Formats: sequence, C-alpha cells, structure tokens
Amino acid sequence: MKRIFTIVLLIAFALLANMSLVTADMHDWWADAAAPYAGATIRGVSESTPPSNYVADVLAAQFTELTGINVEFETTSWDQMYSKAINDMEANTGIYDFVYIEQDIIYSYLAQDYLVNLTQFAADNPDLAYEGYDESEFTSFADYFKNADGDLFGVPMEAFVKVYLYRKDLFENADIMAAFEEAYGYPLAPAESFDQYRDNAEFFTGYGESMDMDLWGTTVQGSTGHPASTYEFLESIGPSFGLYNWGINLDAGSAMSANGGALDGDTAVEALTFWLSMLEFAPPEATSSTWDEVASTFAAGRAAQGWVYGENAAWIATDESRSAVTGNVGVRLPVTADGVIDAAEMGDGYIGYYDGGAFGVPHSSRNKEATLLWLQFIGQQSVQAEWAAAGARITHTATFDDPLIAEQDAKVDGYYTLLEEQGPLFAGAPPFPFHAQVREVIDPFIQRAILGELSPSEALSQAAAAVDEELDRLGYGM
Amino acid sequence: MRNPRTGWLLLSPTLIILIVFGFLPFLYVLFVGFHEWNIFAAQDGMRYNGLDNFRRLVFDVDFLNSVGLTAKFALFAIASEVVLGFFLAQMLTRNFPGKSLFRIIHTFPLMVAPIAVGAIWRLLVIPGFGPVPFLLDRWFDIEYLIGTYPDQALLTSVIMDVWHWTPFVTLTMLAGLSSIPKEPVEQAKVDGANRFQVFWYVTLPFLRPVLLTTIFIRIMDAIRTVDEVWMLAGGGPGTRFTGIYIWRVVFPRTDYGYGSSISIITLYLTIVLCWLLFIGISGQGKDEVE
Amino acid sequence: MRIGLRQRIARYLTTYGFWVFMTLLTLIPIWWMFAVSMRSRVELFARPNLAISRIFLENYSNVLGDSSFQRYMSNSLLISSANAVLVMVLALLATYALSRYKLVGKDNIFFWLITNRMAPPAAFLLPLFLMFTRSFRIGDWTLFDTQLGLILLYCVFNLPFAIWLLKGVIDGIPIELDDAAMIDGAGLFGVLRHVIVPLAAPGLAVTAILSWIFAWNEYLFAANLTSVQARTITTALAEFVTVTGTNWGELAAMSMLTLIPSAVIVVFAQRYIVMGLTFGAVKE
Repeated sequence: MKRIFTIVLLIAFALLANMSLVTADMHDWWADAAAPYAGATIRGVSESTPPSNYVADVLAAQFTELTGINVEFETTSWDQMYSKAINDMEANTGIYDFVYIEQDIIYSYLAQDYLVNLTQFAADNPDLAYEGYDESEFTSFADYFKNADGDLFGVPMEAFVKVYLYRKDLFENADIMAAFEEAYGYPLAPAESFDQYRDNAEFFTGYGESMDMDLWGTTVQGSTGHPASTYEFLESIGPSFGLYNWGINLDAGSAMSANGGALDGDTAVEALTFWLSMLEFAPPEATSSTWDEVASTFAAGRAAQGWVYGENAAWIATDESRSAVTGNVGVRLPVTADGVIDAAEMGDGYIGYYDGGAFGVPHSSRNKEATLLWLQFIGQQSVQAEWAAAGARITHTATFDDPLIAEQDAKVDGYYTLLEEQGPLFAGAPPFPFHAQVREVIDPFIQRAILGELSPSEALSQAAAAVDEELDRLGYGM
Repeated sequence: MRNPRTGWLLLSPTLIILIVFGFLPFLYVLFVGFHEWNIFAAQDGMRYNGLDNFRRLVFDVDFLNSVGLTAKFALFAIASEVVLGFFLAQMLTRNFPGKSLFRIIHTFPLMVAPIAVGAIWRLLVIPGFGPVPFLLDRWFDIEYLIGTYPDQALLTSVIMDVWHWTPFVTLTMLAGLSSIPKEPVEQAKVDGANRFQVFWYVTLPFLRPVLLTTIFIRIMDAIRTVDEVWMLAGGGPGTRFTGIYIWRVVFPRTDYGYGSSISIITLYLTIVLCWLLFIGISGQGKDEVE
Repeated sequence: MRIGLRQRIARYLTTYGFWVFMTLLTLIPIWWMFAVSMRSRVELFARPNLAISRIFLENYSNVLGDSSFQRYMSNSLLISSANAVLVMVLALLATYALSRYKLVGKDNIFFWLITNRMAPPAAFLLPLFLMFTRSFRIGDWTLFDTQLGLILLYCVFNLPFAIWLLKGVIDGIPIELDDAAMIDGAGLFGVLRHVIVPLAAPGLAVTAILSWIFAWNEYLFAANLTSVQARTITTALAEFVTVTGTNWGELAAMSMLTLIPSAVIVVFAQRYIVMGLTFGAVKE
C-alpha cells in the first residue's frame, strides 16, 4: 500500500504514457463536458488494495487535471466499507458519489434500488457520454452488474478468479518427484483430482516434517473468526464438487434437500468432509487464516499447493519485497470432481469463484453527472493496461492482448491467459438479495465444523435449517 | 443559600450533551428493538412485532453463549487485574531509587489504542508468525492455536486485557493506598496483628470505595470490549463476546431490530450488575467514610 | 529500626528483580511491535525472532511521508485535546452541582450519568449516524465527518467517568471552605476558581489525561462517523488490513508513532495521575 516511491514512479510513468495517448481533441472534450462541474468534489469509498490505490493515486490525478473535478477517496477496511456505504445509501445522505460494489453484494444493492442505471443515465445525458468509453469492451464479468435489460449499474474495476497455485520448484524437483513416485506409485504432478490433491498434501506435509522445513501440503482458508472460511467452502470447494449457489434453491426459498435445496445434501457433505480433512495437512495458522493470511502463507513458502485468490497470484509470483517464492509459482485450474468441468462448459454449473468489484453511483449522490464522467474515465480502454499491470486485474477484453500484460502473463505462469480462456468456467456469487445476511447465518456452523464440534453432516443440516429460518424472516422463504 | 436553580444550571451542559448523544440514541434503539427491521428483507421498512425480538433472544444459543463467554472473560480478566494491580501498587508504596521510572514503564500499555493492542497480540500469537506459539512448542511442546482451541482464544484475550488494563488498576490502587492514614495501620501492628490481619481489617476497608469503583469501571469497559478482540481473533469461538455478537447482528447481518433488542438487554444486564455494586459503594461505603 | 547492609542489599535485589521482570512482561509486546515495524514484508514470515537484525526504516518513512497520516494525526490531537478540556470543565461544573446543591433525585441523576458509559456501542451507531447526518444539518454542513462531532460524542463515555472520579475529590473538599470564601464575598465562580480548582487540581488533571487517552484510543465511533476530513489515527490503523494482505510492518510502525503523544503526556503527568485517582477515598 502507500509505497510512495512506487507510486511516484507509477504516476510519472502513467503521465508519460498518457501524454502520447491523450490528444488535444480528447483534452477538449473532457474539459468541455466537465465545465459545469469544474471545482466540484466527488467522494468514493474503497478498500486499500493495489487496484484501488492505483485509481486513487494515479487515475484520480489525471482526471482532475483534465476536468477540474476533484476526486476524494476514503480508504477503509473491508467490513467498514460495506457498513458505511450501506448506511449512506439507506439513509439517503449523499456522502458518497461512488461506492465500491463487490460482485457478491450487487444483487442486494439492486434489490434495494440503491444504484443509478449508468446506461440509462448516459443515454439521458448525451453531452456527458464519452465516445472513448464503450460498455461492450468489458469482459463478461461486467454482466454481473447488469439488470435483465442489459443496463449497467457498475463500472468494473477489478476481476479475478480463485485458482490453484503450486510451488514449481518443489513439484519439479527430481529428488522430490522420485520420493513421491516411490511412495504413491504414480508421478508427482499438480493435482487434477481430489485424491491426487490429498496425496500431494499428505506427501508435502510429511516431506516438510522430515526435512525440518516450515512446509505443509496445502493452504486452507479456515479462519474460525471470519467469514472467509464460509466463503472458501461455499464459493470454491463446494462448486468444485458440484454444490452450486450455496445449496440454496431460490425458487423454493430453501436450503434443505427435502425442499429442493442442497446445502445438507450428499455433495455438500462430501465437499465439507474433504475440505476439513485438508486441515491436517495445512500449516497451523490455517484456522486463523482469512484470504489475507492464505496469500501470506503461500508467499512465505509455507505451503506446496493451495487455493488462492487471483488478485494475490501476481504479487506472490513477482513481488520480491513481499514474497519468498517469486518465480516458482505455478497456476492451474482448481481441482474438480468428475463431470464438473463438463457441466460448467455446458453452462450447467461452475468450477469456482469469479470475484471482483465495480464502482457504482448511489441514487443519493448529489454529483451524479460529475461522477458519470469519472466512471467513464476509469472505464475507458486506454487506461486499462497500466492499471492492470499495477493492480493485477483485468476488466476489458482487449487488455489481455496488451504487451504489458503478455509480459506479466509469462511471470505468473499464464494466470491471465487462464483468466481469459477459462474465466467463463467460473462464476460470481449466486444472485441473492440477502447475501451477507445468509452467509452470516451459515458462518458459525462452518466454524464449529472446523473446530470439530460438529460433524460435516451435522453442521450442514443445522446450517440449512438456520438458513431456512432466516429466509423466512427476510421474506424470501417458501 | 444555595439555590437549586444554580445547581441545575451548572449541571445543564452535561445533561444536554448526554441527553442528545446518549439518551436520544438510546430511545431510538429501544424503539427499533420492538420492531422487525432488516434493510435487506423482501418487505420494506420497520414492522412492529411487540416482544418477538426479546422472545427470540431468550432461545438464541449464540447470544446466550456470548453472554456466558463475556461473563467468563470479565470475571477472569478483572479478578486478575485487581489482584495483580493491588500487588503492584503495594510494591510501589515502598521507596526505592528508580521507582517512578518503573511506574511510568508500567503505564505504557494503557496508552496503546485497543485496536493496536489487538494487532500486537495477534502478531504475537498467530502461528507461523508469532513467537508465542513457536516458543511454547519448542520449550514445552504445547500446541498453541487460537483458531483451533476456543479456550486458548479466550485465555489469550484475558491475558491481553490484563496486560492492557492492569496499569489502570495499579494506578487507582496506588492512589487508594497512598490516601490511607498511617495511624490505624501502626496501631494494628502494635496490637500484634500479622500482615494478613492488617490487610484484612485495616487496609481493605479503607480501600473498598476505590476498589469497588475500579471494578465497576472495568466491568463497564470489559462488557463493551470490541476493538481488541475483533483485531485479535475476529470474534471466533471462544471470543464471540456480546459486544462482537451485537456488532455482527447489526452490521453484516443488518438485523437492526434484533440487534437493538440484544443491545437493550445487554445494557439492562450491565446496569443491574452495576446497580448492585453501586449499592455496595454508596450504601455500606458511605457509613464508614463519613 | 536498623537494617544490616546485607539485608538491605538482598531487599533491593528482590525489589529490582521483581520490577525488571514486570518491566519485561510489560515491554515484550511493545518490543515485538517495534521489531515488526523494523521488518520488510517478506521478512515477517521467517521463523519468529524477537531480535532486530537490521535497521529498516521504510515502514516509518512510508507512514510519515503519507499526507493523510499527518491529517489523521492532527485530527486525533485536536479531537482528544478539545474533548479532554471540555470534559474537564463540564465535569467540574456538574460534579460541583451534584456535590453542593440539594437537587431533586440527584442520586438517580448521578447513576443515570454513569450508565451512559455502559451502552454496547454497535447498535448505537445507526441512530448516531442518522443524527449526525440529518438532525444536525445546516445547509450543506452536517455534524458527520467533523471534528466537532467526535469531540461532543466522546463526552458520552468520558463524562460519566470524569464525574465519578471528581465526585470523590470534590466531596472531599470541606464545604466550610466554600462558605468561608462566600462570606468573604466570592461569587460562585470565585469559589470555583479560588477554592475548588486549586484543591481539586490533581483530580482535574487526571480527569483530563484519562479522557484524553480514552478519546485518543477510540475506534468504532470514529470509523463510522467520519469519512475523509475528520478521520482519526486509530481508523487509519484498521486500513492496513486488506484482502490482498495486511501490511503488518506499516501497521506496527504507525502504532509505535501513535504511542508517542500519549507517552509524552503520561510521563509528564505521572504525579497527578496517582494523586488524582482517589475516587473519594478517605483523606488524611
């Protein structure tokens, strides 16, 4: 974060790069369009992550120079970001002109009608519509932020998939490969089935122990004090076994198998059992690990393989100031059960989580016009490549072909190619208008299963019952 | 002579601020507590539901567990703080060169923001990072994992609280001890009382107002504890205290109605507990002081 | 009574041994925070080691070089100091009223004042947010995201504490002194100024200092009721926890920096703290 030196360099670089791109014409357009709003200040709330920091430090400065509109960023922690944005929109106070919308919360926001229809708003204000900005240039990730008519409610600013990372230096080490083959009777390779994943995990945990190394066989995002554990189970492990949409049947308003749900079904139990069995091969911090510690664990070289959010893949693979495993990171699709990939290719499911976020404009904003300009500015094609290089996120189809990204792609073992080609196999969170509410209900059961207080089937059947109760209370039940 | 009107005038700024920023929000919370209100529910707005929220919380295992945990936390932490604080204060009544330096160093934890306290202790106890699990494993072969063992998480939060707040207790005890007149103590010694008897029959009665007030303040703050524990363990099993539970219900779950009713009950329980103590102070304490 | 030299040495040794041990216990967590602040991100996940291997100041320079850090710091200083002064003055007046005047139901008022510190804060955030953004609105100005808002709000948990602390102190000042001053022609404020304030000075000082510390350390209200302009230093600490990794080094560096102002204050005010914290215990 606030690594000023890097940022100064980035600003200088971005300004130089932009000078050649921004023609006099464009200059005039921005200045003219923004003339009525020059001097205004628009404010947004976001987390302090590399993509957000790039927006706050680099793009905002460029935008202000072009238009005279000031952009103010409130950086805050993950949970604060939601509570503050929701308070503001619900109370209609107009503190924020743009808010960060993570993919999983968009349905809640749309159900409450918090957000301005950007497509419509631009059509109603043709003077403000910038020709260099085109909604069709976004990747399919933007579809999550559209309503049934295809109108956009948020300008995507980051997008990732949760992938399988493994340590190339370990998996390709001749001695280790020989030892593995001797023990298991087949060659060591990145996992393609859950049995193989388990064998790898067991082998490397034993290997770490025998060599007195701080090395374990897998990561597990198993924090017992944070929703991250529920997310890993429901959004990554579950789907890879064929448990979709959290096992909740939205039409039936139930998570119970008896009513058309699947949260307490056999697939879910199998998935949870497998995931919990991985704790044995995970480093001791696994039960305190959120996405944050999982990435740090892998970057510290403490795990041989694991499920890691793609937003972290790039820095783990390349940033020597933070990672001890640069240059040794392999990237693959996450492990799936038989038939899950086929189903995903047919469109009948998905293999993991396509995560990301967008900036949207709340109805309560009092500077909608200026904010629309701003969102078009960050959504235009020409700023994407450097932003992607700085923040490891891709939201535009064309960005994949940019030389900057091609170069990065080689360093992160083809992560961006995977995102481009196999991205559609992944999916965002299910379209629930009660995302955080129901997740909050499921959390304690997953946590107690991690602690061993509940067996997987007990945990899931109790969770399903609790979900149904909450759905009833919220008015989404049967 | 002393016109009560002047008294009310002097009191009024305080009353105004506390009514506006304390009592009015309380009324709002009380009002919401009798409603069903979740902004992400299918139906809009608040709906009056009488005592349903209160009925619900009586059967809410998570809430009841959180009350039990909070009580355990407060009991262990405050008891240790009082004993340790008293002992340290006793040590500080002796004169020795360098005393004030030790006293100043001892007050340092008080100055660290709770959120930073939580961060420090997380850094101390997270495996793979913190020295505590590493050394416990190496020296005593103890597996120390606050994410896996709820008891260890609770114990860690108690130790953290003791580290953070004992200095406060030491200071109040020291103030109490230094205001005890010397004669009764000397007299008791002359009469042949041993150390324990002097403590029990002379020191303790004099110290009681300070002791009770200190405990009272610590109880109020311990029950409200959120920041430290949230940073330390996120309020997982073992540390899901009432303050954190309320926060989770009110915020990520946006169940304002239910969260408000839990707040009201928690406030009520705290007041009852403190009222009993208050009677202890002003009832019995007064007779002896005046 | 004369004590032999050997005995005296033994006594000093145990005393110092004990205090060195306590000091170590007190300082180890702070030392660890310092050690973390002296490490780069990649060094953090090496085997735990309490020693500092090199001087690494990048975390500090990053924190200090950030302009928002300076704003947070000055906000925190302003808010805590103003709150401490306000609390001290209001508590003095209120306590004097409670102590000297016959007010109807004053025991109940006193108890009610104190209950204001007991409320679990989370549920009160919503009404306070609404109040800050809607009720206190003059044109475009609202109480939300202003230093004034936090200064007033912090009174809610600091005033009860302060009044309680001062109650003992002022009750301990003989009422005859007031009367004597009044006979000499002093008015209400004359009495306060020439009798009460000098005698209650240690109590007032400790009220101010502890209020200052409580305000300086507060997180939840500051995080929810400010946005950009009035953010305090504790809210900045929480920003380091992100989905792409917590920046523990800078978090620790900032924590160390936030320690400095309160340490300075407490070191200078040590004497008053002990003198003031008597809570109405018996005076000699």
